[in-house]
Amino acid sequence: MTELLQNLIDGLGRGSIYALLALGVAVVFGIMHLLNFAHGELITIPGYLTYWAFNQGWNWWTVVPLIIVSAVLSSLLIERVAFSRVRGASDFTLLLTSFGVHFIVAAGFLLYVSASVKPYPRPGWFADTIAVGSLNIEVFDLAVIVVTIIVLAGTTWLLQRTMFGLALRAAASDFDTARLMGVKSDSVIRGAFALSGFLAGIAGVFWIMREGQVTPTAGINPMLQGVLAALIGGLGSLRGAVLGGLVLGLAEVLLRSWLPVGIQNLTTGFVFVMIALLFIFRPGGLLSVPQVERV
Amino acid sequence: MTIRKLMALLAILAMLAAACGSDGDSDTATDDAPAESDEGDAMEDDAMAEESHSLDIDAVLAADLSNCAEAPTGDPIKVGMVMDFSEAAGFVDVPGSEVVPYVASLANCAGGINGRPVEVEVRESGADPALATQDLIDWGAQFFIGPPFADATLPMQQTGGGEYAIFAAASTEPTLADAANNTFLVTFDDNGQSSAAAEFALAQGFTRAIVFTEGEGVPYSGVNPDAFKAAFTAGGGEIVSEQTYAWFVDTDFSAQVNEIAGVADGTEVFFSAAAAFQVTALRAQMEGQGLETVNYMGTDALDATGIIADPGGEGMVHTPHTLLVEGTALYDVLDASGTLASDAPSFMPLYIDSMFLGIQGILDCGCDDPAGIADAVKEISSFPGVSGDITYAGTNGIPPKAVPIVVVENGANVLLDTIG
Repeated sequence: MTELLQNLIDGLGRGSIYALLALGVAVVFGIMHLLNFAHGELITIPGYLTYWAFNQGWNWWTVVPLIIVSAVLSSLLIERVAFSRVRGASDFTLLLTSFGVHFIVAAGFLLYVSASVKPYPRPGWFADTIAVGSLNIEVFDLAVIVVTIIVLAGTTWLLQRTMFGLALRAAASDFDTARLMGVKSDSVIRGAFALSGFLAGIAGVFWIMREGQVTPTAGINPMLQGVLAALIGGLGSLRGAVLGGLVLGLAEVLLRSWLPVGIQNLTTGFVFVMIALLFIFRPGGLLSVPQVERV
Repeated sequence: MTIRKLMALLAILAMLAAACGSDGDSDTATDDAPAESDEGDAMEDDAMAEESHSLDIDAVLAADLSNCAEAPTGDPIKVGMVMDFSEAAGFVDVPGSEVVPYVASLANCAGGINGRPVEVEVRESGADPALATQDLIDWGAQFFIGPPFADATLPMQQTGGGEYAIFAAASTEPTLADAANNTFLVTFDDNGQSSAAAEFALAQGFTRAIVFTEGEGVPYSGVNPDAFKAAFTAGGGEIVSEQTYAWFVDTDFSAQVNEIAGVADGTEVFFSAAAAFQVTALRAQMEGQGLETVNYMGTDALDATGIIADPGGEGMVHTPHTLLVEGTALYDVLDASGTLASDAPSFMPLYIDSMFLGIQGILDCGCDDPAGIADAVKEISSFPGVSGDITYAGTNGIPPKAVPIVVVENGANVLLDTIG
């Protein structure tokens, strides 16, 4: 029982990071129908800045804002340089563009920085635990869960209570009609990318802290987890993205614990089998949203 | 008819004489009283051997590029390098492809190898190592230095028809070595380094071990733990927990640590082939769960991924390929070539040795054809390389090199033992 509770907390902690990543993916998908495979670069670029900052003598108090700000700016820059050029193009073109951005960023770091692992120190409290009865709860997991709740509450307020949120939701529902109603497409798209970058930045803080290193392809895993979680939850659904992230995190930790010793290394495979089964029975994900086909 | 018989008799006598002469040539060392002409042959052989083994590594490393000897004018020795500049192997192959041409320039500055200049040509393997290999064959490469993974070296073998000696400079992959097809490791293999780690752990009195693996038989991430387990249990040790993980991916080991916490008592030695950032993350999580006295051991992956630069790496034991000592000629060469500051400087001597081993093959066979060079490389014994003594004779291409066991102390590797 203790191990189960321990694993549940660990799974929620991991799933919270996935939820933030998935939410960023879902925000952009809702507006542009873009499954952004360059979302991981919002972790890679701040990761290298983290490495640089620690070499300049910075500490985590100053690095955390650097990560968030650089993720937002990177997201806006990628939109400006790449996606704004193909706005209105087919979903497939957008998808290929996002792949292109990913490969260019990775190749850039590979060529001009290094092919190897660039380490930096994790925060001192990274693996500290708090004893609650027989449980040893990682402070890191608690911090992730608490911050995620706060960020999700803030995001909900932003989307539900502000004009920007209203425009974003209107555009996500029907972009063309929203434009006819006076919503400025540039503003709402840039706003969506900024919000997506902010969410990736918050997730990135924890991801980068836990990794303790960065490589040119450091963004692949967070991107995959974010996209997977968004797919599980139902592409385009913001609540679904959060749910998908939590489900994915819990599934990874619990399956790893429950599988027999000989096949534990198949955990990822089992997770993918479960996702495949989910898509057979619920092709739209856990909280599917009706898709409006653009013509 | 008589003339024919006479000619046949003369022919037989001539053949007998030739055969006797041949005996004398090849057996001078065992003749009790060699004939005068045999002594002469033996002296000639010695002189040839002297010349053929005249690879003076110390002189090459000591060459002063600002004050070179007369430029060598003989036929060039052509070294082909097919290198992987991707994230997978770029951390060693990028600086490796810089240090070898630099050492070749030192060799040329020192007057070349028996008056022959050394030329090095580098091609990136990219997505098509076969094309890169063919390009270098067309250029005239006599042997190759290749990347550390089989997905590149196997196409290289096939492209060269198995005739070219290929040195997988930075590889420890045991299945990659294949003397029959002229593919050689330059350092110890995974079995060697992990068995040595187990032997060292047992010698320190450890009897309980925690092992992380990616699965039995999985290249590197599984083969190293397999070898450690086999040697550790054969020596009387017990594996108290075996956990799986994703190599180079996982940094959250919560599920594994929860299980380990149920069986470990802190007296264990931990072993894996994981990267530095993974072991330091795991260690922090283990210590967070109260397992603060576990001892950590790893493979050359720790060295390759910057364990000495990682604040969490203090006290970890691992098996690097070489220990670079300041003030030595090798250290100065790496410094001057700019590779001392690279990501994996301790791998650089393996690249330098790869070039020297190929050249030694050329000197030994006295030939320039790739197959002859490769045959000579197979017979190399006790070659005094900059990374240690290397022997291929009687092996399948894996030199039985000693494994240094080091501990990270104050951000530097400190030698604890040398095994093998």
